Amino acid sequence: MTSFQTELGGEAGVAEELAESQRAISIAEFFEKNKHMLGFDSGARGLVTAVKEAVDNALDATEEAGHLPDIYIEIREVGDYYRLVVEDNGPGITREQVPKVFGKLLYGSRFHKREQNRGQQGIGISAAVLYSQLTSGKAAKITSRTQGDDRARYFELIVDTDENEPEVRAEKETTWDRSHGTRIELEMEANMRARSALHDYVAQTAVVNPHARIELREPGLDDPLKFERATDQLPAETEEIRPHPHGVELGQLLKLIDATDSYSVSGFLQEEFTRVGAKTARNVLNAFRDRHYGREMSWGHPQADETDLEVAVRDAVANKTSEATAAFAAGVADRLRSADRAAHGDVARAVDEAANEIEDAHKETFGTTVRENAVVAAWSALTDSDRLRADCHRLVDEATSIRKDDSAVEALSERLVEKFSEDDRHRAPLDTVRAYVDRSADPVEEAHDEVFGDTARENVVEAVWDVMKTVDDEVPRVRDVAGERDTASGLLEAMRATDILAPPTDCLAPITAELVEQGLRKEFDAEFYTAATRDAEVHGGDPFVVEAGIAYGGDLKAEGAVDLLRFANRVPLVYQRGACAITDVTKRIDWRNYELTQPSGSGMPQGPVVILVGVASTNVPFTSESKDAVANVPAIEDEVELAIREAARELKSHLKRRQSLDRRRRKREVLSEILPEMADKVAAVTDRERPNVERALARIMNNVGVSHSAENGTATLQVRNHSDRGEELEITAIVDAEPTGVADGASLVEMDGEWFLSWEPSVGAGETAELTYELDTDASVDLQVDGVTPEKLTVGGNR
Amino acid sequence: MSTDTQQSAEERARERLVDLAAEFYDQMASGEIPQLRLPTRSKSNIEYDEDAGVWVYGDRTSTRTAKSVGGARKLLKASYAVEFLVRQLKQDRSSTLRELYYLSESWDSEQAAFNDQSESDKLVEDLEIVTSVTREDFHMRPEESGATLIGPLRLIEQTRRGEREIHCQEDVGEGGYQIPNNPDTIQFVDHDIDFVLAVETGGMRDRLVENGFDDGMNALVVHLKGQPARATRRITKRLHDELGLPVVVFTDGDPWSYRIFGSVAYGSIKSAHLSRYLATPEARFVGIQPTDIVEYDLPTDPLADSDVNALESELEDPRFQTSYWEEQIELQLDIGKKAEQQALAARGLDFVTDTYLPERLGEMGVL
Repeated sequence: MTSFQTELGGEAGVAEELAESQRAISIAEFFEKNKHMLGFDSGARGLVTAVKEAVDNALDATEEAGHLPDIYIEIREVGDYYRLVVEDNGPGITREQVPKVFGKLLYGSRFHKREQNRGQQGIGISAAVLYSQLTSGKAAKITSRTQGDDRARYFELIVDTDENEPEVRAEKETTWDRSHGTRIELEMEANMRARSALHDYVAQTAVVNPHARIELREPGLDDPLKFERATDQLPAETEEIRPHPHGVELGQLLKLIDATDSYSVSGFLQEEFTRVGAKTARNVLNAFRDRHYGREMSWGHPQADETDLEVAVRDAVANKTSEATAAFAAGVADRLRSADRAAHGDVARAVDEAANEIEDAHKETFGTTVRENAVVAAWSALTDSDRLRADCHRLVDEATSIRKDDSAVEALSERLVEKFSEDDRHRAPLDTVRAYVDRSADPVEEAHDEVFGDTARENVVEAVWDVMKTVDDEVPRVRDVAGERDTASGLLEAMRATDILAPPTDCLAPITAELVEQGLRKEFDAEFYTAATRDAEVHGGDPFVVEAGIAYGGDLKAEGAVDLLRFANRVPLVYQRGACAITDVTKRIDWRNYELTQPSGSGMPQGPVVILVGVASTNVPFTSESKDAVANVPAIEDEVELAIREAARELKSHLKRRQSLDRRRRKREVLSEILPEMADKVAAVTDRERPNVERALARIMNNVGVSHSAENGTATLQVRNHSDRGEELEITAIVDAEPTGVADGASLVEMDGEWFLSWEPSVGAGETAELTYELDTDASVDLQVDGVTPEKLTVGGNR
Repeated sequence: MSTDTQQSAEERARERLVDLAAEFYDQMASGEIPQLRLPTRSKSNIEYDEDAGVWVYGDRTSTRTAKSVGGARKLLKASYAVEFLVRQLKQDRSSTLRELYYLSESWDSEQAAFNDQSESDKLVEDLEIVTSVTREDFHMRPEESGATLIGPLRLIEQTRRGEREIHCQEDVGEGGYQIPNNPDTIQFVDHDIDFVLAVETGGMRDRLVENGFDDGMNALVVHLKGQPARATRRITKRLHDELGLPVVVFTDGDPWSYRIFGSVAYGSIKSAHLSRYLATPEARFVGIQPTDIVEYDLPTDPLADSDVNALESELEDPRFQTSYWEEQIELQLDIGKKAEQQALAARGLDFVTDTYLPERLGEMGVL
């Protein structure tokens, strides 16, 4: 535009001419041209996005209504197009709402809410409708039946892109076999090239929604893909919350200030923010005062000078009875005496209080002028420069190291007092105090050849700021804050500096570590699962929770990089992996510390591993509207890393344990080959029967050896614990003849001619436990042992 | 040696081997971890046996147990070897150490096969130690070392084809009489020997024979062929003990050759359990001594790093802690040189027989 103007100079009429072609564009029209921003950039992608939007909506709707989701997805080729059907068992949508929900972009109930939901902007499903109408020219077909209605309603509608309004093409009553729920049918130009992304999306949705039942039919599948429900437990219901004071930014704060009905800042804080009550508001306001007005320096006042003060006040009062004047002066002095140190505000308060008291008692008026004069007189009596220097010297001396030269400390104090005197009321914000100290210390360093380093200076600043007092002045009103950017930024700083409780997390519904693990177990056949959920943190006023889960080994593919499943508010993120903060964090962890292969110490680790990371927040920061990747927000990245590391630590200890068990198993395998062979040889040489090596083997392996022997009608079950800790075992001997004389510690059950002799001994390290009973020597015995890992167990034969 | 004692030695060997197997058996049967205790076979665990004048193993022992996979494997191999030896003795057959190594390949256990021959050799030595039976009595023999002797000695050898009476000068070629694997099958008949000269290298032995040293000096020249085989050491000991002959050893002038002398005179570390049977403590060292290098101004090679290390390690070897050896070794470290026996040829082919040996043997009081 600039170039136009320059070129055309002052020619009249051009701007008007241009203005004719300038007009507002409807949001629908905008997105029609920017489909990619919503994830509809290609036919392949568009289909997946449409499924995703419809399924997200379906899950949100069913959960909100407290139903266990039962979702049906069907994709079918219809001529040149694909037809997508998604059905849910949600509460249904009322007749009035259906057109808006599906036919108007940015229509939704959630955008302004701080509550965790899958959808947030109200764009998704109507964008899918729009995409379908743009590519196939067909209207969306919606069927919805609300709970308790005996009939369903059927709609055919499109989005009027000029107006961003729904246009209903047909509407009628219909019947539907679901008792409640919603069905959407879209026809669109599409292809199945993104089949694997589609499957990933559905499978991963099933992982983090173990309470949902999902069925997918598509042309490439002979049988429908069914994901069954693993739990009847719905995710916790979420509550809407207000932003947290620690998480807002200046622009956001200004917007909130603009919109609030509150008059005072205190009211505004309590009204608009979570975790702010009267007390917290007061703390914020004091911090705000310190920033906005600065604090007032308070000075000590030795007893000896009280008379001066009283005299000065008395002298400052004119035209009052001497009685009242004396009482007033004494009142002021008394009040100031009761405090160790006094700032200007204390003096003013003392004068006001004393004056009010005298006015009541003596029926005499102490007007503003009298009071002001008294304050000035009292303050100047209090701030006699010699006294201030002495007081300041004490303060500085305590704050700096004893090795400092006293004359230098004195010089510094003197200068500091001068600086404070620059302001009548000795007021200064922290920055100014810091500048005072610097400006005082620099010349002293030069003159006295003494060093006041950064630490010493900061100590002085702290000591001084500590005795300075927050002023009583009224904080600016909300509208004053709104008008002044600096004031607002002072308020923001005050909010951030005040200790405030972490935001409540009932607005979040994290999957929970337990269900993450359950979900992984349901979908992956691995040998080890773990999960971790972090505590809630805040970013931009929105609380968030990060969870991580890891599955390892089993049937997971061992070659190549691990699988990283990313979720935002329980929605799988299947595109733009490389742009996602979760991916970045995963890559930068040194996985070699956790016993995984990672060729260069960064990048995706390798091995039979699935890593699941979920971010739950009232507002997940995405890199784009299509919600494919979590943005690189440092607070979130930190939590993602901590969550992954927490789960990875578990993995590591599992792998360590496994390695040691593996070594033990290999050793045992080799030894159980070697020892019997050795036994055979020595038996051959000595011409004896082969000795039983199980006990020797158990001893070598520090194992628990269980053996059974029978002789002359007496059977002995023996447990030898060669390990260095106590063991609890459950042993069942299954015999085909009736045992008798079984001791109390064991139980005996008969079933179909077999006797189950159960015994649960606990055997200390290095000890042996024995159970003897009567048994026909010919009987055969089978031993079953539980309670000890197989790697540590040696079961001997029936000898 | 009569047939009776021969048989009882075999019987004893077999009994001892079966005892060892029975020990393993009992350990396993009583639930104990099978184990085998042996003297520690290292330089730090040999001590001087005052009575025999030889170096034998001290009191320190190492235990081989089935606690580790490696230890269990060793015990398994031992059990297989025991079984094999017992069978061999029962069938009155014999085999070589190398054959045992190859035989292990055919055993039904993969775990029992030897990795290399040094492993099986060492195992046989272990068995000798725990059973106090020599491997000859197990009917195990080494490969022929090919060591020979030549000189005025008449003996009878028990061969598999009957007795042979042999004169070790008249009945043999220039190569001399080949020492059999078990020299205890030899009977000395008579001799005309003044002293036994054990020579390290073949070249020097041939020089001595060519120069007629054995004939002219009534010397029995024994060719050690490097580190001497047991049979060579055994026959040397018997020549000394039974015929009362002085034994002198003539080697190169380097640390490795001193060890050859050491094993003839004091016993080797590896077979210290047999020192009483193999070592000839009265044997004396002729040379080449480091002092000879200086005295005769022999052509030399500089000491390599490994030579220096070997010399330093010899200074710590209890067998060499005598003032003679300390002096010689320190001198050699000082001059940093070594010399071969053949270096004497620098002074003429006859120098060794005409000058060096007569002078040295004279000094030593042998001549």
